[in-house]
Amino acid sequence: MSLGMLALIGFLFGVGFGYFVQRAGLCFAHGLGEVFIGKGKRIVSLFLVIFVVTSLGFLLSELLSPSLGLKPVGQVRGHGFYNLLAGVFFGAGIFLNGGCVLGTLRQIGEGNMLFLVVLLSLIPGMALVVYGLDPLLERAYDVQQILVPELLGVPAPYVTVALVAGAIAWFVPLRRRK
Amino acid sequence: MKSKKLSENALFLVACFAVLNVTMYLTIHKFWIGGSSFLPMVGQFGDGNTFLFAFVVNLGVIAGAFLGASTSGEFRLRMPRKENLARAVVGGTLIGIGVTLAPGTCTTAFVTGMPMLSVSSFLSAAGIFIGAYVVYKITWRW
Repeated sequence: MSLGMLALIGFLFGVGFGYFVQRAGLCFAHGLGEVFIGKGKRIVSLFLVIFVVTSLGFLLSELLSPSLGLKPVGQVRGHGFYNLLAGVFFGAGIFLNGGCVLGTLRQIGEGNMLFLVVLLSLIPGMALVVYGLDPLLERAYDVQQILVPELLGVPAPYVTVALVAGAIAWFVPLRRRK
Repeated sequence: MKSKKLSENALFLVACFAVLNVTMYLTIHKFWIGGSSFLPMVGQFGDGNTFLFAFVVNLGVIAGAFLGASTSGEFRLRMPRKENLARAVVGGTLIGIGVTLAPGTCTTAFVTGMPMLSVSSFLSAAGIFIGAYVVYKITWRW
């Protein structure tokens, strides 16, 4: 498939993602805020639904094609130190401006141009790392691409099923509680 | 209890989002990526144009959000206020650092990486909680 065709299909999937995210009002930055003030029931429920559906879908995808199945997303860098650090910067950033990546894209689509400023402000941060820190840190990165089942030495279906069961056990009482 | 229409039920809508994410993986072997998708803005396109593809997907997300907001009467053009600009720029820059320091593992962690059982995503999610909590503790008195 040509890159152009792939991009067109990807764009159409993106329209679907954006539509559902906008209608659901999904934003992890707002969600974290709700969790911190003790009102996280809504965002936790939304996350658990995404987790259960996507986990099972990704796991079962291997049945359709052996080239699918579970794959590492991103990299473990510096034995995880840079992932934690990246998360801290990211978490601070999204909480400061009130929008995660999905939330930022959603807000732009809803007409809030402040989030266009947020989006453009990613550029200096990304450039700082790509052209400033990356060349310095490359040796320390010790890049790994690893899945939890490999780390634990347990077959992937067991891990997914256990986590999905845990998510459902968490979700059910959340929905019952008033 | 007041029953909601399915099209207004957030749980149903995020389930649709998740099904779409899986469907994209099944059909074109790609999944949704968040912050790293913006790396083409600094000249990084990723192996096999991964980030460029994700960038286009996220342009679609903006279009989809516009569609959703327009059809529901929630679209409202709002220009940024001066007093919010500094916060947005600092926040955006921190996000930019975060998404580049360990690409593909931030918002992506919650919707793609953790379901993929990717170790990097669990680590990033832990970092996101820490970072957001620190800012929450610093700013909540303001």
